[in-house]
Amino acid sequence: MIRYTASLVILVLLAVVLQQFVPPLAPLFESRVMLVALVFLCASSTVPAPVMLLLAFLCGFITDAENWIGPHGGDPEIYPRPVEPLHFGYSIALYAVMGYLMQGIQPLFRQGKWQFSAALSGIAVFLYLLAEYLLINFVRGGFSFTRWTFLKIAFSSGVTMLLSPLVFWLLFRLADWSRYTIRFDGMKRRKRAHAF
Amino acid sequence: MKPLNLLALLVFLGGLAWALTRSERTVRDIQATYYRAISPFLTGGSALETRSREFLKEVEHSKMLEAEVEAMREDFGRLKLIESQFRKVEAENSALRRALDFKERTRFEVVASRITRRNPATWWQTVEIDRGEESGIATAYTVVTDQGLVGKIDRLGEHQSTVLLLTDEACQVSAKVEGSPEVGILQGQREQFGGSPVLRLRFLSRDARLREGMRVFSTGRGGLFPADLLLGEIDRVEPGPLASEALVRPSVDFQNLGTVFVLTPQKEDS
Repeated sequence: MIRYTASLVILVLLAVVLQQFVPPLAPLFESRVMLVALVFLCASSTVPAPVMLLLAFLCGFITDAENWIGPHGGDPEIYPRPVEPLHFGYSIALYAVMGYLMQGIQPLFRQGKWQFSAALSGIAVFLYLLAEYLLINFVRGGFSFTRWTFLKIAFSSGVTMLLSPLVFWLLFRLADWSRYTIRFDGMKRRKRAHAF
Repeated sequence: MKPLNLLALLVFLGGLAWALTRSERTVRDIQATYYRAISPFLTGGSALETRSREFLKEVEHSKMLEAEVEAMREDFGRLKLIESQFRKVEAENSALRRALDFKERTRFEVVASRITRRNPATWWQTVEIDRGEESGIATAYTVVTDQGLVGKIDRLGEHQSTVLLLTDEACQVSAKVEGSPEVGILQGQREQFGGSPVLRLRFLSRDARLREGMRVFSTGRGGLFPADLLLGEIDRVEPGPLASEALVRPSVDFQNLGTVFVLTPQKEDS
């Protein structure tokens, strides 16, 4: 378990590095593959809640360290209405919510129905981006939500979801290597049935 | 809920509360540490990206030339190749000349830097440049090109930093309109997509007499940006019951940013 958790942490850090070189997809409404979120979501399906929370903290912390924009500054008499920045740490909470969402269908995943988890990873990314955008609207005021924004969120989640089978495959390899049982109950049952 | 899960949740909530209550200074320190840690990967990756882009360009170029060579005689093709290489060098030369000329014309000390990454974040309009603390750059320094204001430094690393672009909603500039007494606050809009961003100039007087094409400059007030930096041109005016607003086309071509200049404190003052 410890070895698997450590390898997940390393996988998240690798995703952070790799994410630096994934450009936005200009033809698809500047959507982007969210590698860190994807690794986190897939990993959340394979681990118990405490490890998921540890990964949520790590991913959220790194995401905010990378993206947080400071307050505007300047003379308040000249800039009376500065645009409020989002609080550092908000991503940690969003990641945890996504993680719990993934854990909600963990029983299905354990039965071998990984396709549901793959689909849910796309939905979770969609909800994450939507929540983030709504949060920006809430903090800064002046609600706006255009078709472009919707398509950007939709394509980002769609493209990210397409990569989830690859990440699941990687996680199974890591689980084998670290002798961690993801508890693939469905497969076990099938194997037993074949044995009989 | 299992006791272990409950305990983990409580510890997590404690960690979340800790993160949410960090001061700006602490967050800046965290960001600096993060960028320091990731810097070797960014530098290496950026060099790799540049090389692969050059390689792809080279491939594209060769294919184009191949088609031309097939259509023409061999010697004519060779001349064409030389000519195209010459033009490339000429364009490069003229861009560098313009950059040098700008450097000479400007009243500030400038640090030339190259864009290494565009739009690294989902919702913020930012770019990353290959200069950081080591080059004497600090947070909130102004970034310009010979076309006008680009933005300001937001996150700072040792060898690279992030520029918050003028097109981002969070970047506000105190601005004046040339040939009119109007002053206001210019800022980007929340949803900027595609190649032609539009800025919004707020807090103008109710009956602002502005025409399309009038140029907008920074006022230098507010302690963030120097005065008289070109920001853009008026596109249209939207009158309101209390104050008017104007839509402004930025003077900088944000899609084709290559080299930018960071303004550092003026040495001539000392």
